[in-house]
Amino acid sequence: MTNHNLLHELLPLYALDSLEGDELHAVRSHLHSCDTCLRELARYSAVTSKLVPDEPAPTHGWERIASAIGNGADIPLGRASEVIDLEEGRPRASRAVTLLTAMAAVAALVFAGIALAQRSLLNDLTGDSAVIAAAEQAASSPGAYVGDFLVDGSSIAQVVLTEDGHGFVVPTEDLEPLMPQRTYQLWVITSDEQVISGGVLGNEPRASTFTWTGDVSGFALTREVAGGVVISEGDVVAVATEA
Amino acid sequence: MQSARLQSGHYGNVAYLTSPVHVSAAWSMSDSNTPDALLAERVANRDQFALEALFEQYGGAVKAVALRVLRNEALADDVVQDTFVGFWNAPEKYDAGRGSLRTFLLTIAHRRAVDIVRSEVARARREEKPPDPDHYDVADEVWTRNLAEQVRNALDELAEGEREAISLAYFSGLSYVEVAKRLGEPEGTVKSRIRSGMKKLAASLSGATA
Repeated sequence: MTNHNLLHELLPLYALDSLEGDELHAVRSHLHSCDTCLRELARYSAVTSKLVPDEPAPTHGWERIASAIGNGADIPLGRASEVIDLEEGRPRASRAVTLLTAMAAVAALVFAGIALAQRSLLNDLTGDSAVIAAAEQAASSPGAYVGDFLVDGSSIAQVVLTEDGHGFVVPTEDLEPLMPQRTYQLWVITSDEQVISGGVLGNEPRASTFTWTGDVSGFALTREVAGGVVISEGDVVAVATEA
Repeated sequence: MQSARLQSGHYGNVAYLTSPVHVSAAWSMSDSNTPDALLAERVANRDQFALEALFEQYGGAVKAVALRVLRNEALADDVVQDTFVGFWNAPEKYDAGRGSLRTFLLTIAHRRAVDIVRSEVARARREEKPPDPDHYDVADEVWTRNLAEQVRNALDELAEGEREAISLAYFSGLSYVEVAKRLGEPEGTVKSRIRSGMKKLAASLSGATA
């Protein structure tokens, strides 16, 4: 039996998402180049979809989705594109601008002293002890930037950046793990509102280091697809600003 | 422009820069004459009303399959959100020539639900609050009753072993290896049953509208 025939026989199992490991990767790889198998897979996928009855859309489900896409899920950070408001028939601010505005609003709250806390980095922290110890030392260095990512008043991570560009992100126990196909991603917000990727933290972040030698007005944490993105496509989890 | 690098939790590891995610182009927009393709095109044009219409039409089925696999309302709601937001972000992955939008969205939702089921995090959360078996007996009955008659008939025509293996794989999110363990059958036997059952269903249901 040829490789094609072997993989073709696995398509019913692939359509049910019941393959794992090498077989899964082999079928996925094969589907990139085999139109015959792609067509056959479409047949089996149609079968699986018929095993699911139609039901009324979940109550409040749309609000969650609208909120997610309305908070910049589709628009890359820092990219200003004009979007026409269908209700008003006029251009409205891009979601990138909206996102930056949202970040600024959160920052304003933080500056107002409602949320931001600067405290010992050893408080409630999890992760690699060597990085945490280095982060604590960095936090006490002259001119260091220290901020919290706060959600509902609780810190989910702390960020430290020394004057000479050594950065640390230290998650707390309150940082929820994500699905395997998602990741947290750090973003640096510069004083001229440029939003630049600081790096990928993974779906279950550990204490991490980064380097940044430019100016900084704040940091943001977003949820993205695994592997990270160059421009944000996910939702903002929290914004940190300097205490 | 300056760049930042984030390293792993250990000193000395090589830092990796973020990079764009390239997803398989298996689904690409084409055949723009179908209603599904038009809706996808409107979503691609950032039309929230089109996405809301899709949610109203298919959101129930998407939630149903996620809930059936995950048996956890909160996780199922996450899958629903991820499915529609994911489609909003990348509508070009849908190819109207390869199936309905309903099939596409359900495929995405099921895959995400299975990923969660197979993750340690979800396993722990599900163990914290195991599903009520009586509730799911009733839910299974309602589920079957709500299927189109043609689908119910097609399922009835399967051998018991085929139906059981397909049901465990699809609705419990189990790999065929896990199904084999669950049933105490050789992996090859389960593989064959799933294959033959799916082929029968495909033959019975080809042409039936989803």
